[in-house]
Amino acid sequence: MTTTFTPSRPYWCAGCGDYGVLQALENGLRQLGIAAHEALVVAGIGCSGSLQNNLSCYGYHTLHGRVLPSCTGAKLANPELTVIGVGGDGDGYAIGGGHFMHTLKRNPSITYIVMNNATYGLTKGQPSPTSLNGFENNVEEDLDPVLLGLSMPGSTFLARGYTGQPAQLTRLVVEALRHAEAGKGFAYLEVLSPCVTYNDTYREWRTAVFDVEQDATYDPNDRAAVFARLLQCRAERRLPIGLLYRNEHPALESVALRKDNGPAALVDIDSALLKPRYEKLMQSLMR
Amino acid sequence: MNRPETRLPVEDLNIIVAGQGGDGSLTVINLLATVLQQSGLKVYTERDVLSRIKGGLTSATLRAFKGDRYCIGGHIDLLMAFDPDAIEKRAKQLAAGSIVIYDNSGGDIREGLLDPDVRVYGAPFARQAVKSFRRDLFKNSIGFAVAGRALGLADDFMRATFERRFARSGPQNLKYNLDALALGLALADELGMSAGHGLYEIVPTERHQRLLITGNDAAAFGFLAAGGRFFAGYPITPSTDVMEWLDKYIADFGGVVRQAEDELSAINMALGAALTGVRTMTATSGPGLSLMQEGIGQAGAAEIPLVVIDVQRGGPSTGLPTKPEQSDFDLMIFGGHGEFTRAVLAPGSTEDCFYLTALATELSQRYQMPIYVALDQALGQNSASVEPFDFSRVTVDNRPRYSAGEVAQRDIYKRYAFTENGVSPYTIPGTPDGMWLVTGNEHDEFGHVSAAPGNRKKQMDKRASKLVSMVPDLPRAGRYGDPTAKIGFIGVGLTYGTILEAMEALADHGIATQYFQPKTVWPVLDETLEFIASCDRVYVVEYNSTAQLAKLFVREGADGSKIENVLKYDGAVLQISELVAEVLSHEVAHYEREVNAA
Repeated sequence: MTTTFTPSRPYWCAGCGDYGVLQALENGLRQLGIAAHEALVVAGIGCSGSLQNNLSCYGYHTLHGRVLPSCTGAKLANPELTVIGVGGDGDGYAIGGGHFMHTLKRNPSITYIVMNNATYGLTKGQPSPTSLNGFENNVEEDLDPVLLGLSMPGSTFLARGYTGQPAQLTRLVVEALRHAEAGKGFAYLEVLSPCVTYNDTYREWRTAVFDVEQDATYDPNDRAAVFARLLQCRAERRLPIGLLYRNEHPALESVALRKDNGPAALVDIDSALLKPRYEKLMQSLMR
Repeated sequence: MNRPETRLPVEDLNIIVAGQGGDGSLTVINLLATVLQQSGLKVYTERDVLSRIKGGLTSATLRAFKGDRYCIGGHIDLLMAFDPDAIEKRAKQLAAGSIVIYDNSGGDIREGLLDPDVRVYGAPFARQAVKSFRRDLFKNSIGFAVAGRALGLADDFMRATFERRFARSGPQNLKYNLDALALGLALADELGMSAGHGLYEIVPTERHQRLLITGNDAAAFGFLAAGGRFFAGYPITPSTDVMEWLDKYIADFGGVVRQAEDELSAINMALGAALTGVRTMTATSGPGLSLMQEGIGQAGAAEIPLVVIDVQRGGPSTGLPTKPEQSDFDLMIFGGHGEFTRAVLAPGSTEDCFYLTALATELSQRYQMPIYVALDQALGQNSASVEPFDFSRVTVDNRPRYSAGEVAQRDIYKRYAFTENGVSPYTIPGTPDGMWLVTGNEHDEFGHVSAAPGNRKKQMDKRASKLVSMVPDLPRAGRYGDPTAKIGFIGVGLTYGTILEAMEALADHGIATQYFQPKTVWPVLDETLEFIASCDRVYVVEYNSTAQLAKLFVREGADGSKIENVLKYDGAVLQISELVAEVLSHEVAHYEREVNAA
């Protein structure tokens, strides 16, 4: 047995929601039997961007906002890997907001967990894209990324959890990982994960959350109905949680990669072996 | 024109085809290039286009020759114009004896425009095309026939070329083009250019097959041949061809090309892919390189292997998107915040584009860092006849990667272990017990974020030491001319061919010179400084306004008083005669100073 890095202990504030996300992800990986060496966890910048250090998987700390392109590149290069992106709301919706839209559109089979605390905690409390109008002099309307996701035809899995409901959160993490593992596409899970220091929303969110799984009439497969329901929740200042939307759409790696090719990361590139094929290609280009 | 007794072998033939964008000038040049290369000649082609799909005066130039030439010549033998404005623009370059063939559908050119010894032939290509095909799309095929007759191409040869060239575009299109060719041949008859005559002796030959390839395509091929299997990019002129070429061929070799939503995504897709062990590249130009800077710094800090091709265009900002410049060297060498290790290779010829990109791909793995390959618009997009690539010169080696077995033999594995040469062996995800933490934050040997001063310094020094340990593997300069000459040239990219020919002209003036063509621009190798030291004067020829290369050499220890800057940044091509004149005027001034001093 070879010793490699020892996972570090989280450096989050006591009471931070991110502890719950870490616990749920550990539970999920264990429940699905995903070995540490088969998973690549890509983390953004912010408090949540240290989560990979607390696991024993392959961990990549990417640039601010670039979790999704990094994950997409890794998944396309080796679709056999379990690729999990983690980051915050500033990372995913502000500086990386463009990639969020395009990843929904592309639908690669990766899991993306956004720890949304509606503030920039690491830089001490500035408003983020999901901050309410009025928070810290914020004059902009808050973004609902799930509504954005619903407007993207390629979306296949949109869910929201709350760290105050850990059992459901683990269930949602497992569902998300399963979706991606099954090659069904992009599993997006936003987790309401309060920042106890700069935007302590435990009290508001505890009462505002609305668990759609408790509502027998809620159909996560009906895009228009989900959209209407989410707008209604927004008008009522309620935060829907649960598996909010599910759809089928070909995953990126199933359409962008040539069918009979194995992972590009593992293909034999021995030059002596391939020389005749390079020669043949060159001959076809001769005039 | 029926003067069979004057038919000459081609020594150095320059042809320009010009018109409005969309007229098909490039197609005519490509067809002529194919024909002339099949006749055993080498060719070099250049295009002068604007950044739009249609319209604006554009041209393409072709030089066919015996021997070695890497740029367009100084004279025009044949100008074919779809637009009389193109003749106005080029009138001064047309010497006595040159031929002008133009489309007179819109009227004849004005009297007195051209030297009386220029032979001018007007024919209504567009009108004929509209009459026969109801659109002017095929006028370039008509024009090609007339130009072919003027040059002395056999009708069968032209037809065979059309059949090959247009076979892929469907039988209807092929038929129209062949009909247009026949129409053109009839027009040529009317102009007195009958079959079997023409200016030159041009005979098809199959004995020497060469590639006719652009620098961009050669670089893409080099990456593929060195085991490159992942490319992420965002379309930007003039580097897009690299992505297009790989997109055509890489999947046949198990590879992947992904077009991203912007350069930020492209560079980060590349980094994510590179972490899985696949050999990875991106290519960009101008503004795209600015956007990628943070990602390239990440590759440096986190030690992620990555090849970046920069096909330099006129800057700053959006600048001159379709014109060459060499003004990104400062950005490639010093760009990005903080200090990190990167190398910059610079091809001069089209062959170099292949071999240096292949080498960059290998070195990126061996030293786990970003390696730039610095092209420019002209080198990237001009095409040249090149000898078949020698794949046995391309090295593919997976060192310093640890396999699962190699990891298992160790008690401990540290991703960023301190080593003698600064290179820490890496593992790829999927390897049991090879797990790592990769980060652009400062980190300890395991990859844990660390701000401890002692560790910080050691990690910085470790990464920096790779730039020293890689020196033996870096490509050495090409050397040309008289090795004892005291007057030297230094230049990369599109200056390569111009310098070589200027040296011939200077030799005719009695001035012996030598040319040092650096293939490694960063780090600056001792050989570069030694070359400058060995000369009395060195002309550093660059396409930028601030002498980026010359200043780099001085910064690294060269004697600045020996350097004469030749700077070009107007977007136009540096003519051989321009360079010769500049050197001559300097040399004359220098001589006069010496005489006066004596």
